[in-house]
Parts: sequence; C-alpha cells; structure tokens
Amino acid sequence: MDIRSRALQDGRPTLSIRDLTVDFPKRDGAFRAVDGVSLDVWPGEIVGVIGESGSGKTMTALSTLRMLPKRAVVSGSIELGQRRILDLSPADMRKLRGDRLSFIPQDAMRALNPTMRIGRQVGEPLVLHRNLSFKAAVSRAVDLLRAVHVREPERRVEDYPHGFSGGMQQRAMIAMGLALEPELIIADEPTTALDVTVQAQVLKLLKEIRDREATSILFITHDLGVVAELCDWVYVMYRGRIVEQGSVERIFMDPRDDYTKMLLASTPTLFPREAAI
Amino acid sequence: MATAAGFDFRRWRLVLLGGLLVGIVLFAAIFAPWVAPYSPFDLDVAKMLQGPSAAHWLGTDELGRDVLSRAIYAARISMQVALLAVTVGLVGGTLIGMTAAYFGGLVEQALMRAMDLLFSFPAILLAVVLMASLGTSVLNAMIAIGIVFIPGFSRLARASTQAVLRQQYIEAARSIGMSDIRIIFREILPNITAPLMVEAAVAFAYAVLLESALSFLGLGAQPPDPSWGNMLSTGRGFMAQAPWLSIVPGMAMFICVLGFNLLGDGLRDVTDPHMRE
Ligand SMILES: Nc1ncnc2c1ncn2[C@@H]1O[C@H](COP(=O)(O)OP(=O)(O)OP(=O)(O)O)[C@@H](O)[C@H]1O
Ligand SMILES: [Mg+2]
Repeated sequence: MDIRSRALQDGRPTLSIRDLTVDFPKRDGAFRAVDGVSLDVWPGEIVGVIGESGSGKTMTALSTLRMLPKRAVVSGSIELGQRRILDLSPADMRKLRGDRLSFIPQDAMRALNPTMRIGRQVGEPLVLHRNLSFKAAVSRAVDLLRAVHVREPERRVEDYPHGFSGGMQQRAMIAMGLALEPELIIADEPTTALDVTVQAQVLKLLKEIRDREATSILFITHDLGVVAELCDWVYVMYRGRIVEQGSVERIFMDPRDDYTKMLLASTPTLFPREAAI
Repeated sequence: MATAAGFDFRRWRLVLLGGLLVGIVLFAAIFAPWVAPYSPFDLDVAKMLQGPSAAHWLGTDELGRDVLSRAIYAARISMQVALLAVTVGLVGGTLIGMTAAYFGGLVEQALMRAMDLLFSFPAILLAVVLMASLGTSVLNAMIAIGIVFIPGFSRLARASTQAVLRQQYIEAARSIGMSDIRIIFREILPNITAPLMVEAAVAFAYAVLLESALSFLGLGAQPPDPSWGNMLSTGRGFMAQAPWLSIVPGMAMFICVLGFNLLGDGLRDVTDPHMRE
C-alpha cells in the first residue's frame, strides 16, 4: 500500500514546499535548476530526496534555508510549520536557522572551523539563539556529543576538528544540528564522505534521533541503498523535477517512472544489501 | 602535522634566527635604561668625537654623548613607531580587506579602488605628505607610516578572506544562524591570521626603515631624542673623522631589519601548506 501513514495521524506537515523553482539567469534566458518541485515532510518522518548529480537536490535544500547563491531567483512557496520561509525578513530567517531548522552538510570535516574547538562549535547554536555563556554552551555540548555516541565527550570538547575522525566529525555536526531540538533537519548527503561501516552508524544515529525526538528529517542522497535503509517516503528528482514519489517499499517494488526504473536497474548490489539488513 | 614528529629544527631555523635578532633589539629597547651604559643625553664636550674605547665601546658623538647608549635608546623609538604603525596598518587594512571581500559588489569596488589609489603613491612621498599636513612628531610619523601600510594589508586580507569564504565552514556558520559580523570576526579572522602575521613581520622591518628615512629627513624623532635615522643624518657630516657615528646606527638598523625579514620569511615557510612535505 502506498499510503503515508503519518499524514493520517497529524494534521500539518513540518515542511511543505509548493511549486518551487530556482533559476540562474544567463545571457540567453535562465538555467532552471529546480523546476516546480512540491514536497512534504510530516512530523517524525524521514523523507528521502534521491537523484543524480545536478538534479537540483542541494538547490531545493538551500532554498529552504534561504541560503541559495546570491544570483539565484526563487519562486513558489515554502512553509516550515506556519512560517512562510520565502517571505521572512533576513533577520527572522537567521533566527530560524540552527534553531527550528538545522542543516547537516556533506563533508563534516570541511564544515567544521579548523581554528575552533569542537565544544565551542557544537555549542554555538545555544550561544546564538539562547544567549548561553561560552561555558554553559560547552557543557551542553558535552551532553550533545554524548547523545550522538562520541566517547569521552568531556575530554573531546577540548579537541580541534583535526583531532576527530571523519565519523566523529559528522557526529559533531549532527550534535550541533540537534542542539536546539529543531523541527526539521535537512541532511545533504551526510554520509557520502564516510566509509561504509561509519556510514551505517551515522544512519542508525539519525534514525535513533527521529525515534527519540520525533524530529522530521529531509535526507538528500544519490544512494538508493541509503534510502532503503533509512527513509519512510522518497521523492525521485531528475533534472530539477520530482518525477516520482512514494513509500520506500512501493518505489522499490513497483517503480513507475522510467528514470526511477533506470536508477534501480543501475544499482545491482542493492537488493542483496537490503536483504542483509 | 608537525606535532607527532617532534620539533623540526630545520623547518623553524629562519624563525629562530630572526626571532633571536628581533629579540636582541626588543630586549635593548625595553630595558634600555638598564642595558645602556650611559644616558643618551649626557654631554661631555671634553670627550667629543672619540673613537671606540674601553669607556665608550662604540665611541662618542659630536657632543660627547655615548653612541652605544644612543643607539640603544633609538631602538626604543624605532620599535614604538614600528609597533604602532604596523598596528594601524594591520587593523585598518584587515578591516577594509575583510569587509570588501565579505560584502563584494560595489562596497568591494569602492574600497579596493581607494586602496589602489593609496598604493600608487610612493610610500615615502605619502608619508612626507601626511607628515606635512599632520605636523612633524613621532606620533604623526607612526600614523603616517601606518596609513602607508593599509593598502598592502587590505589586499592580503581581501585575498585571504576570499579563500576562506569558499570554505564550507562559512556556509555551516550561516546555516546555524550566525550574523555577518560574527562570521567575519569569529570564523574568518582566526583563519586569516597566519598570512597577516607574516606580512606584519615584513612590514615591521619596512616601518623601521621608513621611520629612519623620515628621521633622516628631519621629519621623525626630533633631536636631542635619538633615532637611528637622525643619528645617521648627523653622522653623515662626520663621515671622515668619525665613521662610527654612521656605522653604529646603520648596523643597528641592519640587524633589526634583517631580523624581522628572516622572521617573516621563516613564518611564511612554516605556515604555507605548500612548503610542507
Ligand atoms: N551558482 C550557480 N550558478 C549556476 N548554476 C548553478 C549554481 N549552483 C548550482 N547550479 C546548477 O544547478 C543545478 C542543480 O545543482 P544542485 O547542486 O542542486 O545539484 P545536486 O542534485 O545537489 O547534485 P549533487 O548530487 O552533485 O550534489 C546544477 O545543474 C548546477 O550546475
Ligand atoms: Mg548536492
């Protein structure tokens, strides 16, 4: 059955995107990176967006954060809870980021400031949005790191990012994203830079967070295996458009769009792997 | 990282050598009253223009003052001028460069064209013009030399900021709702200090030379206050009878300038990632 079970329980999606387009002006017209995308993320749901490189996944995510490149032209509507994201003032938008809405980037190593201690970075959202002191933020960072299973967090908060392994850096980023219990976490290929075992641990952690905090997660990837492991609902993107959506089971068992079929066919290792889980 | 390999003497030797020379000059400047054998102002007409002797290691000047003591006190003035001038240049240039790079567009155009204009003046001419309008005093010499330094620091700060802006941790900082000002000072500034420190060391050497040149022209430290420049200027009149009057301040300047240049070059090699094996 292709029913979105959570949609029946709760009245309102956490995130609702309607007819989103993102254009990059060029000399002759414009390049349309996102073309009429509509998607929903319901409370406590992990929604996957899958598509090949250049299909507009990151631009969709950045639109939601209002962090597109300056020259991009956006239209459509994006609602987070009751807030119309595209109508907010820059200052109000800044208040949402890191508080109600978190972003977990692809490459944690490069997303951490090399000159700042981990504790300070993980605690930064609390300093920014809750006026916590530096010390209080670092002591909260210890709890947050513990919650994402970083060992000896009391000691680790003193480290600089280069002292962390790739998996721990990504955990630190996730801890930072969790700091203020956001309504929505957007994760843009957060495990691509990690090796397979670490990747599995991070996915498990995201699931655990969803189960514990009922956080909604928009998960961007081009890895069908990851979608199979993690997501409740999937949108398939191709050249800026959503070509198909459905529950993970339905997409895998009964793909309807040609591109989705191709995607499934080109991932031969998927089914044995899925079976192993 | 060099931490695990222990101290790599060869990599740091320029820094150490430069640091040693700079250290000697700074020590003499700070502890002048204890280091100098005589007061720099005590006249002794009976002893004028004496060559080096046991009582006066580096001889006496045309008024019978101890040349070594004057050279040591002159280090004080040179170091003060250089420190303040470099501070003015560093702070002013860094703020301008970071602002230009961060905001881009018209702000950047306006600021950098102004810097080009300032840069196109010969340094000594600019300093002389500034001194002419500010009046001749040591303080004004410091400010004038500092302004001369602003364009160089601003270009470096701009280029370094542009490189840092491409880093993902800047995007990550925005994604947690950090404000522009906070990003500039907490995320960018700590990551551009290394190249700025290298430039500061080289500027220090240049400031010492500029201050001496201004004093030589009678625009810096005013007699009877000793400065290497005005000592050289007086010494010039006694080149045949008393060459030590020129040689001593000349050597002092040489040691000081060499020290800062070695320090700058050494720091450049140590902090430049391309120079690392
Ligand atoms: N600053 C920009 N100017 C012009 N075009 C851009 C810009 N940034 C992105 N694009 C274009 O927008 C399209 C969508 O890019 P996007 O980054 O959203 O793809 P993606 O699905 O995230 O791909 P990937 O899997 O490689 O991350 C791409 O074709 C890209 O070339
Ligand atoms: Mg992307």
